Amino acid sequence: MSHDPSVWVTALLTLAIFSFLWRENPVFRFAEHLLVGVSAGYYVVQYFYSGIVKKLIVPVRQDPGTNWPLIFGGALGILMFARLFRRLSWAARYPVAFYVSSAAGYFIPSVLEANVLKQIGGTVTAPGTAMAAGTLPVVSSALLVLGVIAVLVYFFFSVEHRGPVGSLSRVGILYLMVGFGASFGYTVMGRITLLLGRFQFLLGDWLGLI
Amino acid sequence: MAGEKQGTLLSRLTTVDRRVIYLLMTLVVAWPMFKLVTLPVLISKEVAGFDREIEALTAGDHVIFAFDYEPDVMAELDPMSRAVMDRLFEKDVEVVALTLYPGGAGIAQPVLESAAREHNKVYGEDYVFLGYNPDWSGTMLRLGESIKATYPADQFGRDTRTMPILADCDSYKDVKLLVSICGSQLTEYWAALAGGRYGQKIVSGNTAVQAVFIYPFYQSGQIKGFLGGLKGAAEYETAIERPAFGVRGMGSQTMGHLLILLFVVIGNLGYLAARRAGTGGSGGVTGGGGRA
Amino acid sequence: MLERTLPILLATVAGLFMAAQFFIPHPAMLRIYNLALDWKQIVFGCTLMLGVVSLIRFHWRKVARRAPGAFYSGVALVSCLATIGTAFFGIETGLYPWLYDRVQAPMQATLFALLAYFVASASYRAFRARSVHATLLLAAGAVVMLGRVPIGDLIGFDAGGERWSLGSLASWILDVPSLAAKRGILIGVGLGMISTSIRIILGIERAYLGQSSGEGQGRS
Repeated sequence: MSHDPSVWVTALLTLAIFSFLWRENPVFRFAEHLLVGVSAGYYVVQYFYSGIVKKLIVPVRQDPGTNWPLIFGGALGILMFARLFRRLSWAARYPVAFYVSSAAGYFIPSVLEANVLKQIGGTVTAPGTAMAAGTLPVVSSALLVLGVIAVLVYFFFSVEHRGPVGSLSRVGILYLMVGFGASFGYTVMGRITLLLGRFQFLLGDWLGLI
Repeated sequence: MAGEKQGTLLSRLTTVDRRVIYLLMTLVVAWPMFKLVTLPVLISKEVAGFDREIEALTAGDHVIFAFDYEPDVMAELDPMSRAVMDRLFEKDVEVVALTLYPGGAGIAQPVLESAAREHNKVYGEDYVFLGYNPDWSGTMLRLGESIKATYPADQFGRDTRTMPILADCDSYKDVKLLVSICGSQLTEYWAALAGGRYGQKIVSGNTAVQAVFIYPFYQSGQIKGFLGGLKGAAEYETAIERPAFGVRGMGSQTMGHLLILLFVVIGNLGYLAARRAGTGGSGGVTGGGGRA
Repeated sequence: MLERTLPILLATVAGLFMAAQFFIPHPAMLRIYNLALDWKQIVFGCTLMLGVVSLIRFHWRKVARRAPGAFYSGVALVSCLATIGTAFFGIETGLYPWLYDRVQAPMQATLFALLAYFVASASYRAFRARSVHATLLLAAGAVVMLGRVPIGDLIGFDAGGERWSLGSLASWILDVPSLAAKRGILIGVGLGMISTSIRIILGIERAYLGQSSGEGQGRS
């Protein structure tokens, strides 16, 4: 068993969170709100240090001749806090508009390439690359192409899902069910691993049993 | 009569108190930790691809290592981070570490420091931790223009312009490989922004939940290899012949999966029994989206 | 004008510029692009700080009004301010990293570890093979769960010089049908993102600006 007070603090807080499994209780609520408070405090320090100190104060001090335009970015950032005052909250629209729209701007070509064109490319080249590998890879790649088309048809709601479109859309649903099943299997895997991590701490670092 | 009794027993099984389920879960997952059984781990092609890219690095190459996760998924991703960092330092690769999560700084430091101690690496020369930067997408793009302008100071406030490791490394052009250990969709955006716009080669380690979404990027060649969940970590530890938490956890992982499957089977048997007895059965989720 | 028109104009100019610079690698464009990215990071840092300030304000009001749960709000407030206070003594060593290592990180990890129990409970009480679709979903889930642990590679047989196991079946499911489904979703989401981005840049989509009296989303 550990004699380090820090480990005991951690262990007791861990058990406080686990107590929720029995039922909601004041110990759990205390631990939950402690987590909210400590996290908020930790994060705001990180945000200030990385967003203001490292991105504004440090570069302007390092090279004021080149980096003085960053001050306007700082002004835009300060406008964000206008949201806290109802009468002035309209001023926060400027930094929000700038931020949202500039992100939207550079996402258009990047997402078009990565999420659309490259994905379509991967689909249509799959049968070609599978040809050298044998029958099963060719069948698999054909099923892949069919699946991508069927799923896209399922999500295309501008045309009524009847006749051949309806049949293809129903094939798409089957593919989606298999996909969700695979996600479920992986999700179970992930959650059990997280539990494993806490048991490692409680049984190993705290109680010294493993 | 006997059939009726069996039906009643099975349908009663579906109404067992959830705390009994929790207790079973605890016992089944914890037990293999006491009685360690090492199961053979086969390496999948995605992990082989990841390993290939790491092994292709040579001494002096620069790697960007992104600790894109927080304590909530630490149990899944820390084993990967430690294994990969060990291997990178073993190969004398120069590591430029950063994080796109505010809670990632506390995650990254112990991993970097313990690996650096083991391999006698010097901060500023062999590795650097640039820390957290807000605006993940802006950071991914800005790194393509200038690493030092993106991070004028490192996590500890030191001037990045004076660091030897960054003297000849200032953008993706100077970086051989980007390793994204990620608990969310950020890997996909690394592929889109750093990979798509700047042609940066990327490998990733992802949580099990996210790994399912990485397969399309792997198949299209946007990501050269990836580790998925604790199994991925176990496979990589096997590949580099350094078994650790990943390999050790496979016993508990296996038992946990078997228990969940048992629950699903018993739950469905009980549901069928209740339906046959005409009592309707409890709850239910359909594939099309009923209540969960 | 100041409240609505100028922000929308700013959005249009910024969005068009960021989309155009992808195709125009002129040094002047690159300088403005780099500056815009730096501004974005400063603005984002302030936005995140605003979130925490709002949280502090919410809990402060609860304590001041002695609303139900005020004690817990007090706990959150005190711990938040105490954590910020520790940062003044250094963020590399001392109480600030200790609070992260010993309080925040373990509790955050434990909160997510609870999900394992909820998945178990949901699997037992709610996951029913009520239809063909649900059965297919369950079957795929079962194969992947078994196939992605070492035991899955042991359950199988050798034929034609190859190993046919639950593990290889799970890999096939992930490489073909699951990949097809995820790719279809990915393409759909990508197209949706592009169309929403275009609507934002053209000023058609204005929900991100928030509402004031008498205003709503722009009509297309």
